[in-house]
Amino acid sequence: MKPAAQIYGGIANLPLPVALINQKLELEECSNTLLELFNLDSARNKPVNLGELVGASSYDLAKLHKRLLDGNISKEYISHVCPKGALKWFKLIAYPIQDGQHYYLHFEDVTQKKLSLDLALQAERIARIGSWEVDLINNSVTWSAMTREIHEVPEHFVPNLDTGLNFYKEGEHRDRIVGVVSEAIEKGSPYDVELIIVTAKGNEKWVRAIGNAEIINGKASRLFGVFQDIDKRKRESLKYQALTDRMRVAVESSNIGIWDYDIVNNGLVWDDNMYKLYQVKKEDFTGVVEAWEGTIHPDDKERSLKAVEDAITGKSKFNTEFRIITSHGTIRHIHGQGKVFRDEQGNPIRMIGANTDVSRIKKVDNRLRQLLNTTEKQNKSLLNFAHIVSHNLRSNSSNLSMLTGMLLEKKDPSKQQRFLEMIRISSERLDETVVQLNEVIKIQTDPDQKFQWVGVKETLSSVLESVNALIAETKPDIQVKIDENLRIYAIKPYVASVFLNLLTNSIKYRKQGQQLKLKINALDAGDHIVISFTDNGKGIDLEKHGAKLFGMYKTFHGNKDARGIGLFISKNQMDAMNAKITVESMEGKGATFQLYFPPHKLNTTHE
Amino acid sequence: MNEPKVFLVDDDFIFREVAEVMIKTSGLSTAVTHLENGLEAYNKLLELSETPLELPDVMLLDINMPVMNGWELLEELKMGPSNIRDQVQIHILTSSIAPEDLNLSKTYNFINGYITKPLTDADMEKLIFSLRSARSSSH
Repeated sequence: MKPAAQIYGGIANLPLPVALINQKLELEECSNTLLELFNLDSARNKPVNLGELVGASSYDLAKLHKRLLDGNISKEYISHVCPKGALKWFKLIAYPIQDGQHYYLHFEDVTQKKLSLDLALQAERIARIGSWEVDLINNSVTWSAMTREIHEVPEHFVPNLDTGLNFYKEGEHRDRIVGVVSEAIEKGSPYDVELIIVTAKGNEKWVRAIGNAEIINGKASRLFGVFQDIDKRKRESLKYQALTDRMRVAVESSNIGIWDYDIVNNGLVWDDNMYKLYQVKKEDFTGVVEAWEGTIHPDDKERSLKAVEDAITGKSKFNTEFRIITSHGTIRHIHGQGKVFRDEQGNPIRMIGANTDVSRIKKVDNRLRQLLNTTEKQNKSLLNFAHIVSHNLRSNSSNLSMLTGMLLEKKDPSKQQRFLEMIRISSERLDETVVQLNEVIKIQTDPDQKFQWVGVKETLSSVLESVNALIAETKPDIQVKIDENLRIYAIKPYVASVFLNLLTNSIKYRKQGQQLKLKINALDAGDHIVISFTDNGKGIDLEKHGAKLFGMYKTFHGNKDARGIGLFISKNQMDAMNAKITVESMEGKGATFQLYFPPHKLNTTHE
Repeated sequence: MNEPKVFLVDDDFIFREVAEVMIKTSGLSTAVTHLENGLEAYNKLLELSETPLELPDVMLLDINMPVMNGWELLEELKMGPSNIRDQVQIHILTSSIAPEDLNLSKTYNFINGYITKPLTDADMEKLIFSLRSARSSSH
């Protein structure tokens, strides 16, 4: 009976990559499958020894050879370069035969495995993932190279379970790891935590520790897991988290509403602040743009929608102000800003923006403008005021100081009496100036002056009465055309004062040698009441003096008794009543002063 | 050397009278001409510019005056005959202590001084010194 091997063609026909070699590594027999594996032709160049078969990787073979001679089953990984140049890896297992002279060799192509292993190792390095294992029975711990690297310990460092856990930062981090590891040992529950370790070099590092337990007979025998250095990522994410938190607090506390508009699907998402801003309940909001449109003040609607459209088409940035009417009916000023996001083709897909309630800012702004206006007016008055202080007070006081100096130094004895006379005049002027100044200040500060209905004709009559001596002396022709019932809403003493001033001015600046004709008319023009004083006196050259006519201490006639303060006081009194005074005149052709009083409703701010 | 002539332009007669006394007693001049406002001064100066020898040596000019104030006169003089600007020492003499006025005066290069009232003996001495040095340099 033939041996089975001979019946079936021996090794050559085995469907496995196997070979029979002797102690010199010479090939005695091999399967065709093996030859195919190495791309060799079975008929012709059959290799004579192992080196020829796998190629010139003598180092690997020498190692193998030595082990074979020791008589053990031997495993070796060898590399082989194919005729086409590709690198292949084989796992070679050699089994000694009982005769002690020969060995069976089995080849396995592990190129794919080797490649993926390499890849995995590389990935581990790049991802900084290490592995570890705890044998709970022998209490021995194995760390991979990367695990050691993460801990910054030397290559030969031998950890145990305790030293391993002691790397975790004292406090919450160590407590946590001890907790999860204990639980894993007791219950076999896996864990996945992110904690801080303090490396052997003293550096703090964020790591991710993933662990699992192997339970045999209800008892954990082994713990294993991976260990990843996530320091960079964690720190970034913590930083980002802090930033996000801060931003959220800022947004929440600032009354800024954030909206997100899905342009493609016409969906509008609001954050909580938006609902507060628009005083809309979340459940009442449909989430479409039309819902927003509906809240915009009708006067601002067209412009606001245009702004959105322009932003989407890319014509301009969305940065605008509009008013809304909230669901409670209040009007709010909203400042809206937004940014359009586009796909790769540049089509608008999304618009995100912020709304801020600027009503209060608007209000304050308006108030400031009003204040500024008032302040400007007051500043002008104050400037005039400064001028009078500078001019009239100082000119008289300097006169006094010069005159008294002369008296004391007896500079010109013949003029002593004259000096005394001039001192008297100067002090009288000073006194008069102070009285007038007091008048001016009173207008600007007197809170007791009450608005009331003032009969125009009645007031004028009493003014005329008060100067009847002057009228008797100069005999002017005064024609009054005023409706008996015409009333203005004003401050009575101011009206009387203005009338008196215009009246005495006309008399004072009448033409010499010609009777003064003065017409006083009043007209109710609906939106205001105009009272005019027209005379045929000297008139004023407005080209030259118009700009400063109502300023303090401007006189234009070189008149000895002109003090130049009358029109200034009148102007201030008119200002205080929200009324206006204007003048029309030509030199030598008389003058017309017109007083414009606003209708009552515009004057109620002073009530 | 002829006695210098002084123009005193001020609307306040009291000041003019007092200033005249000071001008005389200080020894600056006894030839003092009173003018009540800028226009009077302008007319007079224009008239004298035809006979330049009769132009004043010094003009003390107030600012706040009716009809034509000091600034308006200076504006007119800026355009007027150059011999007025060259020959007449113009000193502003004002009761204004507003810095704007002082600053404005600096924009006129033919102004020789700026005096704030009251007029003092020290001011007079300065005026005399200023006039003498101007005269010695031009003669």
